[in-house]
Amino acid sequence: MKALVDTPVATRLEAAARRDRGARRAALGKAAAVCVAPAAVFLLVLIAYPLSRVFWSAFHYVNLTNPTVSGFARLDNFTTVFEDEHFWPSLWRTCEWTVVSVVGEYALGLASAVALAQPIRARSVFRAIVIIPWVIPIVVAGLNWTWMLTPDYGVLNIWMVKLGLMAKPYYWLGNLNSALLTVSFVNIWRSFPFYTISLLAALLSVPREILESAAMDAAGPIRRFVYITMPELKIVSLTLIFIHVIWTAINFDFIWVMTQGGPYNASETLPIMIYRYAMEDFDVGAASALAMMTMGFMLAVFFIYWYGARSSSRESATW
Amino acid sequence: MVTSGFERRTRAGATYATLALFAVYCLFPFLWMVDTALKPPGEVRSLNPTFWIVNPTLENFRHVLTDGNFLAYFRNSVIVAGGATALSLMIAIFCGYALSRFPREPITRTVGGALLMSQMIPGVLLLAPIYILMRELGLLSTYRALIIVYCTFAIPLCSFMLKGFFDGVPGELEDAAEMDGCSRFGFIYRILLPLAAPGILATALFCFVTAWNEFLFGYVLINDEARRTLTPGIMVFKGPHLTDWGALMAAAVLAVVPVAVFFVYLQRFLMEGLTTGAVKG
Repeated sequence: MKALVDTPVATRLEAAARRDRGARRAALGKAAAVCVAPAAVFLLVLIAYPLSRVFWSAFHYVNLTNPTVSGFARLDNFTTVFEDEHFWPSLWRTCEWTVVSVVGEYALGLASAVALAQPIRARSVFRAIVIIPWVIPIVVAGLNWTWMLTPDYGVLNIWMVKLGLMAKPYYWLGNLNSALLTVSFVNIWRSFPFYTISLLAALLSVPREILESAAMDAAGPIRRFVYITMPELKIVSLTLIFIHVIWTAINFDFIWVMTQGGPYNASETLPIMIYRYAMEDFDVGAASALAMMTMGFMLAVFFIYWYGARSSSRESATW
Repeated sequence: MVTSGFERRTRAGATYATLALFAVYCLFPFLWMVDTALKPPGEVRSLNPTFWIVNPTLENFRHVLTDGNFLAYFRNSVIVAGGATALSLMIAIFCGYALSRFPREPITRTVGGALLMSQMIPGVLLLAPIYILMRELGLLSTYRALIIVYCTFAIPLCSFMLKGFFDGVPGELEDAAEMDGCSRFGFIYRILLPLAAPGILATALFCFVTAWNEFLFGYVLINDEARRTLTPGIMVFKGPHLTDWGALMAAAVLAVVPVAVFFVYLQRFLMEGLTTGAVKG
């Protein structure tokens, strides 16, 4: 047997096969390159290039309408942003809006997912109903709620007064104290179904045997939920919260449609500020500086998530 | 499960109560929108609003469809969303194929990672450079500008959704086709696409809906009334001061119709799509 393998013919055959494999590998690499090339071109032109322009503009004087404004600005654009009286309040409001929205979305998403995971009749009907808000375009959802909340003829105001919850109709979107919270509330309404669907999928994959043996050991429903179900949901929850912190913090549409950042900047967040710098003040430099800072903030959130996900996966590995 | 009868009963009661509350919470705003659209002006501006409509009317819909630019907005949105869907599908089919079949190739991993990252970079941060880029290309207020820009989110979305569907087509089929002398593109065209057709349709519809719902770039890049798309169009419809809520709600209902129809088909794909991480909220 050994002699046969060592014959020159076999060696040559093997060499040929190896060469073939090499050629095939190279062909695969080439095919892969051809297939991803168009997508890569789009990424370079529409993401990488604008991104590099943001970095460049952050350190240069750039005006949207006046091309004579130019030159290296050092850190002037950052100074413009920091000295803007709206910057710190906007940063604070961005955090407020993000935290309120994400906490509310997660709470509603978890509650609805747990309810939908029970052995119930007509689950698919309820699931379809719960998805409805997420299907509705943001602009439509925003205007619809604006209509329901109008102080004069808005149905929610009138009904709440009738039920005795309020003395008189309240201008939810027009008051400094309530504008941002109201928009957050509508954002929660529109966004929580995404959590429902993701958490429901995770809930349905929690092993029944473990829950059952815990029930036999006399663990009540609350203990079973806290000690068995919640740890199983940890990775999904972390991912959901991470992507929504980012999507919410940079959300422009909801606030713009419902309040345009008003009244008196009471609902202005960083994305609204970026828009105002760029499209109303035409100060692309300041807009880019603020965009860069926002990106830094997002990177920080990303590292927190990454660290959290890694340490929790290590925990479950040792367990 | 081994639980007491008391626990089972309270649990069932609590479940149905919770679901009933959620059903009201999710449905009411939508139903109120439809309800308002069907009311005559006198009942829209009523200090005693009810679901019951005394004189139901289609006047709001007639007003929206015949006066003003609503139909043009609608047509523009169909063109832009359709164009973006077609263009990004053409690109994403190949990209999704590479992600599914050559996941270990360095180039696939690089581009795949970049596509994922790009989903995390929000449009508003790139607003100024993209506006300037489109102005330099002379594309402001054209359909092409929006179609190209919508590809930035549509290509990653479609690529990862399609990858999931392509993964379901067995690799043995490709080996067999290759042995019978079928080229790689022949395989994609003759075997992969027909087999993954339901998934491709789902991807296309989802992409269309996402483009249809987009607001920011449609608002910023289009300044020409004749080219304006639906979502910014509806906001213009609201007007700065006095709002005709009946007509606005009729426009909103019409804007939701295509989305709602597509989602009837998309429902069964949603669970998988969301869990594989291809879908952006």
